[in-house]
Amino acid sequence: MDDFWFEFVEVTQSIGDGVLFGSTYALIGIGFTLIFGAMGKLNVAYAAAAMAGAYSSLAIYILFDAPLVVIFIVSAICAAILGYLVYLTCFRFIPVHNHLAALMASVGGLFFIDEVIVHATRGSPLAFPSMFSEAYFEVGPYGIRGDLLFVFFIGLISTGVLLYVLFRTRLGLATRAVAQQDVAARLCGMSIHLTNSTTFAVAGLLGGIAGAMTAAAVGILSPVMILPLTIKGLIVTVIGGLGSIPGAIIAGLFVGGFENVVMYFRGIDERDMYVVALLFIFLVFRPNGLFGKTITRD
Amino acid sequence: MLEVKSLSKHFGGVQAVRELDLAVNAGDIFGVIGPNGSGKSTLVNLISGVFPATTGEIHFQGQSLSNLSPHARVRAGVARTFQNIRLFPGLTVWQNLWVARNSTEDTRAEGISFRWFRKSGPVKNEIDAMLEFSGLADKGDELASNLAFGEQRRLELARAAATKPRLLLLDEPAAGMNQEEVRDLGRRIRELRQQGMTIILIEHVMELVMGITDRIVVLNFGSKIAEGEPAAIRKDKSVQEAYLGQSEDG
Repeated sequence: MDDFWFEFVEVTQSIGDGVLFGSTYALIGIGFTLIFGAMGKLNVAYAAAAMAGAYSSLAIYILFDAPLVVIFIVSAICAAILGYLVYLTCFRFIPVHNHLAALMASVGGLFFIDEVIVHATRGSPLAFPSMFSEAYFEVGPYGIRGDLLFVFFIGLISTGVLLYVLFRTRLGLATRAVAQQDVAARLCGMSIHLTNSTTFAVAGLLGGIAGAMTAAAVGILSPVMILPLTIKGLIVTVIGGLGSIPGAIIAGLFVGGFENVVMYFRGIDERDMYVVALLFIFLVFRPNGLFGKTITRD
Repeated sequence: MLEVKSLSKHFGGVQAVRELDLAVNAGDIFGVIGPNGSGKSTLVNLISGVFPATTGEIHFQGQSLSNLSPHARVRAGVARTFQNIRLFPGLTVWQNLWVARNSTEDTRAEGISFRWFRKSGPVKNEIDAMLEFSGLADKGDELASNLAFGEQRRLELARAAATKPRLLLLDEPAAGMNQEEVRDLGRRIRELRQQGMTIILIEHVMELVMGITDRIVVLNFGSKIAEGEPAAIRKDKSVQEAYLGQSEDG
């Protein structure tokens, strides 16, 4: 019985840690889903731009000896600028109905950003300052890591601010109007290019925060983190339902918990395999995701 | 106010509008009728900028619209409704009007700004008046997608009017309406004219067109076959022929 109890605590502990870390996946998923909602297109370069934001903030942190608190803000701003540049290069001038061209352009964007990072860092990982890593709370048999809790907290605030902007400001309502009925939005005086580029920049803000959160939770920044983050972000987006923000939040936390418990039982080298398997299960049994609607566009 | 000069639109080999000339006077309710496929909706799409003309010019208050994007045309004062309703389904009735109302308000913002959404403040009275005008006063907080068909039509008209246009294009606003709703619509269109809007009405429902328009243009195969006052159009031989070629009143 004691063995069972010990095992139970260990498993739930790893799920809890995973859910806290999953807030980074949720943010990345929200970013993918925002852009998909606005344009009906996937921006595959999104997570790469997010990590590039974290790299830029690390560079500024080291070069200017900036205080630690600014690192999330700088990362968010850099990723927002990059998000806008990705929009300009990969989406703005590609014909609206050519989805494949936009997808391939953003895949190109992903590899381009990846190459630039590899080139600039010679491919070696860099230490990233984590916050509250020495803090540790004990709750009954469980322990909560301060850095994970902090990351979760940042994710919570960012999501809250985003939802407020989306539902309670003109920018948010205009963005949702464009997403829901783009033809009518244009003919009510809204500029599609302006709302789209703002959406990319706002998604970039979130991505930059998520990039810095990931790096802060792991303690390092490495180019090899880009592809897994991209793939997990996409998986979260699909599981949550393309275009659904609540879906992305729940799916992000779920994938975080799921991968951690898989890691507990099967080890880190098998972890991502099971996450991808989860994607296939969803694609077969619930192809529209948790909250996805069947998407029809005219 | 609106001048259309030798306007043509080809879709591949099909000529939807050919060498069309139109002049609409300020303050008029201007009817455009014609059998199905005669180019009426294409004309609305060309004026509102949904797609560019193949050749020809559109001038609005002395300004050429040809190089303006659709949202810029709205800001210049041209708004429209759609034959198939295109509301923002996930926004409330109030928000539908609010985003439209605000998108022409601030000359720099083009639909983007961090203005807080509130159901109060300077635009509240305006939007409440619009809700009253559309008979939706008690539906402000409903999602647009939950409205009945007739209510959606009314909201779309109000939303177009909310951008404060000088020229309002109505693409078959009476489609699917019963007689009472059509009379209601006619009353609303007249009221919008009284507020200073010029109106181009594309319609199959003859009762409405003949009842409220000042001038009518008849299109067939993308060309103008007649133009004049409603009474004259009713008697016009070529118009009757164009419609007799059709199986129904459309």
